[in-house]
Amino acid sequence: MPNAVILCVDDEEVPRTLRVMVLTKQGYTVLAAVSAVQALELLDQHHVDLVLTDQMMPDIVGTELAKKLRACRPWLPIIIVSGVNEIPEDAIFADRFVSKVEGPEALFRNIAEVLAHYSQQRDQEGPPC
Amino acid sequence: MPELLRAKVGVFTELHRKTRQLELLNRELEQRVEERTEQLRQSEEQFRTLANSIPQLAWMADAHGSIFWYNQRWYDYIGLGEDQTERWGWTSLQHPDHIDRTMERLEQAWSAGQFWEDTFPLLGKDEKFKWFIARAVPLRDSQGSVARWFGTCTDISDQIAAEEKIRHLNSQLQDRLAELEAIMQVLPVGVAVSHDPSGDLITGNAALTHMLGTQVGDNISLNKSQSNPLSFRFYQDERELAPEELPLQRSAATGQPLGTMELEIRHNGGSPIYLLASASPLRDPAGAVRGAVGAFFDVTGRKHLEDLLRERADLLELATEAIIVRDLNGLLLFWNSGAEALYGWQRDEVLGKPIHEILETQFPVGDATIESTLATVRSWEGNLIQSTRDGRELVVASRLALKARGDAVLEINRDITSQLQAEEALRKAERLAAMGRVAGIIAHEINNPLEAISNTFFLLRDHPSLDAEARHYAQMGEEEMLRLSHITRQTLGFYRESKHPVAVSVAQLLDDILELQLRRMEFNKIAVEKRYRSRGTVQGFPVELKQVFLNLIGNAMQAMPDGGRLRLHVFESSGRDNRKAGTWVSLCDTGVGIDAEHARHLFEPFFTTKSAKGTGLGLWISKGIIQKYGGSISFRSLRRSGRNITCFQIFLPHADLGAADRMDAPPESLKVPEPTARATGRA
Repeated sequence: MPNAVILCVDDEEVPRTLRVMVLTKQGYTVLAAVSAVQALELLDQHHVDLVLTDQMMPDIVGTELAKKLRACRPWLPIIIVSGVNEIPEDAIFADRFVSKVEGPEALFRNIAEVLAHYSQQRDQEGPPC
Repeated sequence: MPELLRAKVGVFTELHRKTRQLELLNRELEQRVEERTEQLRQSEEQFRTLANSIPQLAWMADAHGSIFWYNQRWYDYIGLGEDQTERWGWTSLQHPDHIDRTMERLEQAWSAGQFWEDTFPLLGKDEKFKWFIARAVPLRDSQGSVARWFGTCTDISDQIAAEEKIRHLNSQLQDRLAELEAIMQVLPVGVAVSHDPSGDLITGNAALTHMLGTQVGDNISLNKSQSNPLSFRFYQDERELAPEELPLQRSAATGQPLGTMELEIRHNGGSPIYLLASASPLRDPAGAVRGAVGAFFDVTGRKHLEDLLRERADLLELATEAIIVRDLNGLLLFWNSGAEALYGWQRDEVLGKPIHEILETQFPVGDATIESTLATVRSWEGNLIQSTRDGRELVVASRLALKARGDAVLEINRDITSQLQAEEALRKAERLAAMGRVAGIIAHEINNPLEAISNTFFLLRDHPSLDAEARHYAQMGEEEMLRLSHITRQTLGFYRESKHPVAVSVAQLLDDILELQLRRMEFNKIAVEKRYRSRGTVQGFPVELKQVFLNLIGNAMQAMPDGGRLRLHVFESSGRDNRKAGTWVSLCDTGVGIDAEHARHLFEPFFTTKSAKGTGLGLWISKGIIQKYGGSISFRSLRRSGRNITCFQIFLPHADLGAADRMDAPPESLKVPEPTARATGRA
């Protein structure tokens, strides 16, 4: 789904910026947040089609963010990218848990698949958090 | 006149007649005196003959006690002639110890004129004293005065000797009796005597009365005639015995000795005493049974010991350890059930045999070291390697101890093969865990910059500012980076995924592994032939399954050092015709094959044909993993047209609820419904 709005969350600047640029180059509209807290604020202010978050963050980790969003925005797709080689227990709250070494093409494929899966519920909005 | 004459004639005639009568009377008297004298002479003669013929020594003394005659036997005894015997000469023949008493009593008899009797020894001609009983009777005249004494001395030395002998025998008998009585009382064996054939009166020695709780001298008969009730009873095989069944009564009744009989004495409230009893009849001189005697041997201690030994023996049989006793030459004396179970050799097969030869025992140190340790500290401990009957090799923790008498060695062997394997597996698991932790740290440190680099190359790839040459460089960089990220994904990718099984494609797993091994395969001239009829999707943990296939492919490659062909098949079993639904994977190589003798041990831990290179755990772990999935692994090795073909076949069933449980499925509450389900179900 081109022109979809993706919220990219990562506390580290370089990987976040590169990820934003790559996604932008691929044709997505990208919002960036440096923390889970900022991400939740942005979600209140903007329409977002998909949340792409890093797992390892200092305050709230990716899976916790996913768990929070599941509670109040059940129709919002979430993909977690991780540099660690272990999938945590609560990864099930995200739609995908993707290794960072898969490369940008794999990331695009995952995003596309998840968005396609949710496209049927595109017009349905959950209650605001 | 005539009258007168006639009267005178008559007087004369009468006188003449009277004179004739007197003459006749006188002649008769004379004749009678003669006869009497002759009778007397004969009587005297007869007396002397008689006196000489009697066995006694005889003598005569006058009224004053002066001996004027001895019979011939006297002289014969003392060995002296008539003229050599003084009037009191025989006092010199008397024993000095008796002479005073004898003479005193004799004088008394003389003076009182009373019968005299005494016993004393007299010296014979053989210079030996013999015992005599001497008697003297007074012969009185018509006035009643003592005219002479007649005496005899009767040889009673035989009688005295016999009496002496009897006295001696009696004394000996008393001694023996006293000894016997003492023995009876100190004897630790109970002894009972029945004093009548019916066993109505029975007494026992101290040992027996102690066992019975009675007193020495008590009647311990259990016969009904016994009025005094006794507090003990005899039992045999848990049955109370009647009095007539008891040893003494039985022996007296049959007149036969009774061999060993096992008995039990029970008291009111006391612990039982176990006995071995035997009995024998007693007979009177006529041979009739007059009673019986019995011996009762207390075997309670022995019986308790036997019970204890039996208990110990049972314990030995219960032990799962092999408990072995061997002599100093190593010949087997004892072999418990644990040993039978551990080694597979039955007791009868190995008793008396050199056990460590049979078990092919490998000692960690030399025999001499063990022997000297046993000799000094009497025990030894160490691990041994031994073989079972069916050729399996065991590691046992062995403890040896020298028997107290030093003539045998006690040996307890505990199989620690599995324990060692488990320890090794644990060590391996710990190594893996440590590796996992290291890999996790490395992954984080490498994966993050790797993502940044790959994103950078993605942005750089079509950047308009790049000229052809720069784009070429960028492309080269990206290709190398892709190789790097690929290797990283293989090694530092998700190492251990979620605790929940996920859908894993076996075909994908195989491809990933082959890709990693590609260079080695090419180098070793191994051709790979893939026939995937399905993706082989199963529920599981990718790392575990990867380990299984990496192991099998690794083995196959090692089996083909000079090249060959590796064929991989993946196909589905539909689950019809009573077959489980699932994925089959078969890996066939044309390598060196598997020897029949190795085939049996292939899935055992620590079995390896790769000597130093292999751990011997690969196939064991693989089998464990496959079994955890409810699957199976098997192999065939055969020669076809001059080539070995070795095939491993793995079956992984399609997940059912049971398998999911085994793989530790998450609790239902933690599961989040699929988004689609939410869309259709709750909207």
